[in-house]
Amino acid sequence: MSSSTDRGGSFVSVAHGVAWRNLHNHFSHPMYYIPSLVFPLLFFTAFTGALGALTDLPGFEFEAGYEGFQYVFVLIQSAAFGGVFTGFAIARDFETGFARRLLLAAPNRQGIIAGYALAALGRWVFTALVVTGVAFAAGMTMPGGVGVAGLYALALLVNGAGILFASGVAMRMRTVQAGPLMQTPVFLALFLAPVYVPLAVLDGWIETVARFNPFTAFLEAGRGFLVGRPTTVGLAFGLAVALLVLFGWWAHRGLRSAESAG
Amino acid sequence: MSGRHGIEVVELVREFPKGPRAVDGIDLHVAPGEIYGFLGPNGAGKSTTVLVLTTLLPLTSGSARVAGYDVATQGRYVRAEIGAALQEAALDPLLSAREHMRLQTTLHGLSRSDRKVRGEELLERVGLVEAADRRVGGYSGGMKRRLDLALALVHRPSILFLDEPTTGLDPQSRTALWDEVARLTREDGVTVFLTTQYLEEADALADRVGIIDRGRIVAEGTPQALKDEIGRPSVEIVPAQDGDHEALAAVLSRFGESVPALSQSVAVRLRGGESELAEVVRALDGAGISVSQLRLHAPTLDDVFLEKTGRSLEGAGSEHGGDESAG
Ligand SMILES: Nc1ncnc2c1ncn2[C@@H]1O[C@H](COP(=O)(O)OP(=O)(O)O)[C@@H](O)[C@H]1O
Ligand SMILES: [Mg+2]
Repeated sequence: MSSSTDRGGSFVSVAHGVAWRNLHNHFSHPMYYIPSLVFPLLFFTAFTGALGALTDLPGFEFEAGYEGFQYVFVLIQSAAFGGVFTGFAIARDFETGFARRLLLAAPNRQGIIAGYALAALGRWVFTALVVTGVAFAAGMTMPGGVGVAGLYALALLVNGAGILFASGVAMRMRTVQAGPLMQTPVFLALFLAPVYVPLAVLDGWIETVARFNPFTAFLEAGRGFLVGRPTTVGLAFGLAVALLVLFGWWAHRGLRSAESAG
Repeated sequence: MSGRHGIEVVELVREFPKGPRAVDGIDLHVAPGEIYGFLGPNGAGKSTTVLVLTTLLPLTSGSARVAGYDVATQGRYVRAEIGAALQEAALDPLLSAREHMRLQTTLHGLSRSDRKVRGEELLERVGLVEAADRRVGGYSGGMKRRLDLALALVHRPSILFLDEPTTGLDPQSRTALWDEVARLTREDGVTVFLTTQYLEEADALADRVGIIDRGRIVAEGTPQALKDEIGRPSVEIVPAQDGDHEALAAVLSRFGESVPALSQSVAVRLRGGESELAEVVRALDGAGISVSQLRLHAPTLDDVFLEKTGRSLEGAGSEHGGDESAG
């Protein structure tokens, strides 16, 4: 009896297989990896180009330059949307029936989610490297030095939360038509945060919404790390971990729902 | 290893929310090393049964043990013992056959060196070595089925589920797959649970056949026993003179109930089986009816299905139907 479990593969081997397949597909097909690069870079160049003059506004000062200010947004944004794209991949696999191959081969089905998550992480790291290179080329500086590691740690947590949120939706809906349901909440949360200008410069209802938006904390803390004057660190990490736990539960329940639907 | 366990199903029910009772209380016993043919028209409940037995769908009530493990509570042990090629081959069009092999062997936790050896061995076995680096998106239906089968064998399962493995295949691909399945049982002792809509397939391949209709098993046994039990042979006779048609029908009616036949001929199912044929000929002689043609039809599983459900298997499906049932 004990040997039979060996034949089904472990959590690690399942995660490895799923991650390999998703990364392999992603990087061998330009139709997948080009968009994941184009959007963050587009945000970055569009905002820094058009709004770079904002740094002359009274109330705006940021030592890392407007490039640095936007870099933090683009990094957090690409981390969150990286998760959403993973949701698309999962939904597509359920729609085509490919997910059944994974469900059938995996004794431990949590390994499947772990595999998708690892692949999403791999994709995002690649995007982050490219965006970082471009930001440096555009003149961004990192006055905060190694403290910037805090920004990356935060972005990783956001990436993980995005993955778990979107995969929870994907495993409940099991169709690519679930796309808007994964995308819209993340999109709204992102753009109702102090994206282009600091919170202090925002006005009216946007300011109210932004104040209670977790992304506000992520962006402010991230920008603090970049310039070496950490702010709202505890709040940002607390929120990120809370989201991770919440969406972890959400994804776990989603897997249960997918299992009982066949 | 599983020891010697097959499949044990008791009073299995699967109901879809807001849907039909796709599986409506079936009992099944599949012995280790046996090829069990699950025969039924479209919508009968074959795939639903397979999904429950492979732990992809929970059951509503009843119980099922596969390879000695309970599908409801010991899913992971069941999955370690079984391989499955489902009705829609779950393949990624962007991956090649070799890449599928790599994925499948990794999922099953084979070591790096075993992965390579086992993968190549199986690709060879199903004749896909030459196409192995091409994307599966461009494969024919037969190639996809063969790859799906090879993938299902990666971890040397003791029980194999094949859901309509030859539907949509040309005759050559179909017999090639039959040979492969027969070989798996013969050489490796694999237990096979195979669903099909094709009588010939069940007849040619299965040691035992269960006929399923509307979620219930209506008959079960070896193909021969099923045919012997119900499907007695029928005799079809064309009279030499058209005018003898009615007299012929009257004589034949003494030997059994009539069955549909071409307009110029008369056919009856022989109540006493083949041995009555001589009797029939003598009776016709006595009545002065001369015969132009005489044909004896061996019973088929379709006769069995007809007998048990009152419908012909061809075209009995709930989705497609009608157009094939003539004749
Ligand atoms: N996911 C589902 N939801 C609702 N009804 C379903 C579902 N899957 C199958 N059915 C229904 O259950 C019955 C049996 O289907 P199935 O097991 O696929 O039959 P078969 O494989 O013999 O063609 C059919 O009436 C089918 O429409
Ligand atoms: Mg089916």
